[in-house]
Amino acid sequence: MITDIITIIKDYWLLLLIGQYPNGPLGGLANTLILSALSIALAFPISILFALARLSKWRALRWPVTALVYITRGVPLLMLVLWSYFLVPLLTGADVPSFVTMLTTLVFYQGAFLSEVVRGGIVALGHGQMEAAKALGHSYLGAMRFIILPQALYNMIPSIISTFVSTIKDTTIGYVINVPDLTFAASQVNNQLLTQPFQVFLILAIVYYAICWSLTKVANAIEQRITRRRAGPSRTVVAPLAPSKILSEQP
Amino acid sequence: MTMSASTPQQAPAIRLSNVHKSYGDHPVLKNINASVARGEVVVICGPSGSGKSTLIRTINRLEEINSGSIVFDGQDIHATMPAKKLNLLRSSIGFVFQNFNLFPHLSVVENVSMSPIRVKGVAPDVAYDKALKLLDRVGLAEKANAYPGQLSGGQQQRVAIARALAMEPPVMLFDEPTSALDPEMVGEVLSVMKSLAAEGMTMLCVTHEMGFARDVADRIWFINAGEILETAPPEEFFKTPRHPRAQRFLADLRH
Ligand SMILES: Nc1ncnc2c1ncn2[C@@H]1O[C@H](COP(=O)(O)OP(=O)(O)OP(=O)(O)O)[C@@H](O)[C@H]1O
Ligand SMILES: [Mg+2]
Repeated sequence: MITDIITIIKDYWLLLLIGQYPNGPLGGLANTLILSALSIALAFPISILFALARLSKWRALRWPVTALVYITRGVPLLMLVLWSYFLVPLLTGADVPSFVTMLTTLVFYQGAFLSEVVRGGIVALGHGQMEAAKALGHSYLGAMRFIILPQALYNMIPSIISTFVSTIKDTTIGYVINVPDLTFAASQVNNQLLTQPFQVFLILAIVYYAICWSLTKVANAIEQRITRRRAGPSRTVVAPLAPSKILSEQP
Repeated sequence: MTMSASTPQQAPAIRLSNVHKSYGDHPVLKNINASVARGEVVVICGPSGSGKSTLIRTINRLEEINSGSIVFDGQDIHATMPAKKLNLLRSSIGFVFQNFNLFPHLSVVENVSMSPIRVKGVAPDVAYDKALKLLDRVGLAEKANAYPGQLSGGQQQRVAIARALAMEPPVMLFDEPTSALDPEMVGEVLSVMKSLAAEGMTMLCVTHEMGFARDVADRIWFINAGEILETAPPEEFFKTPRHPRAQRFLADLRH
């Protein structure tokens, strides 16, 4: 069993790593990582825009985005992927590469989920922070950027990470529209070997697990760093007040 | 004072005229007419739910009004205006909240210096220096690098006052600044406010601290059910309140 797996890796590591490249498109693990990274990198800012639109006082902004989020969340990802795959070329006549189709669909799908997380984080902060920011003269967007979002996103790190992890896992769905990723490469290997599906797909599972696990680790480390910084250098006892020192002299 | 030179000295800092506000068909402010002179300290008092917070929050437009006008520094705060202008007006009215509303993700000195940097475009090192001076003034210089979560309530409220002062507002509004504090911390906040008053700051304070009102206020506004029933200097208000409702309010306070 272990020796089978080692043999498979020995024989097919290049295919699993980069697919047919340079004789064909880039594939394998490299493509999975690129697709994941791009999806996350694009879904994250989009989710913030969606969340802000859903909280906007302007209906013209709020309603369409709310509808989009509801629809996207209520439909299986596979369905959306097939839709984009067959419908977009039909409607636009353009020949869209499957990688781009998958990326766009994932970005909207995960962006919609993530926007609910972000919105929840903002709402959970309450009115006080925004009011304090306004009272100091901050604009709405300035307050969001410097006061509300830093707190809301920080509080939501665990949920944000789990959305990132499911984004990585969801890249596997690209298989159905022939995105040449790691899953695609593994099934090519399986088709050549025919007799060792368990071994092949175990490799696949381990690799995905390793990617998601590292992401979680990195995220936890970042979260801890922020927490430590916010705890501040002086976790000391509250110093007794020097009562008369309080003011009088001009700044 | 940082008022524009063209405004005559005797013009009030804030003038409220015929201000009405209601939530649905429930009127909360009824025909408010009052003004605050430069350098004046006004204490607003009245029973719970009488509209004190609503009144003070309309002055920097955290609440909208239904009709009337509130003029500050020659400008009607509630006029239709671009958001930019409203933000600018707001930045020159300091506001201190009952529950502080410090920014918990920023250190104390960042809390105080961020708005001058982000709103006014002050250079960061200048804003930091200024923030440290203000923190020293409220007796918290040694807490500059602490985070709000590490401070007591009284300390947080003093940081909040320093944060508001950092914008150099000619007017400060306080909405029950000591109500969320343990009794032993009330004094430290009141003494900061007292020193501000002594320096000539124009102040409007909603507070139940009648000792503070007696010592520091130039004038008391007594508000009940959305109406200002009486405005009087403190010695007059406490000794010989004219309105029966004010008499009852003071009698209730004594026990
Ligand atoms: N957002 C709101 N929606 C509806 N009614 C409100 C709202 N905010 C305040 N009110 C009502 O307006 C009235 C005045 O409230 P306000 O908070 O100004 O009173 P207050 O004098 O500050 O009371 P307290 O001493 O309890 O702080 C109350 O009857 C209150 O129920
Ligand atoms: Mg109140």
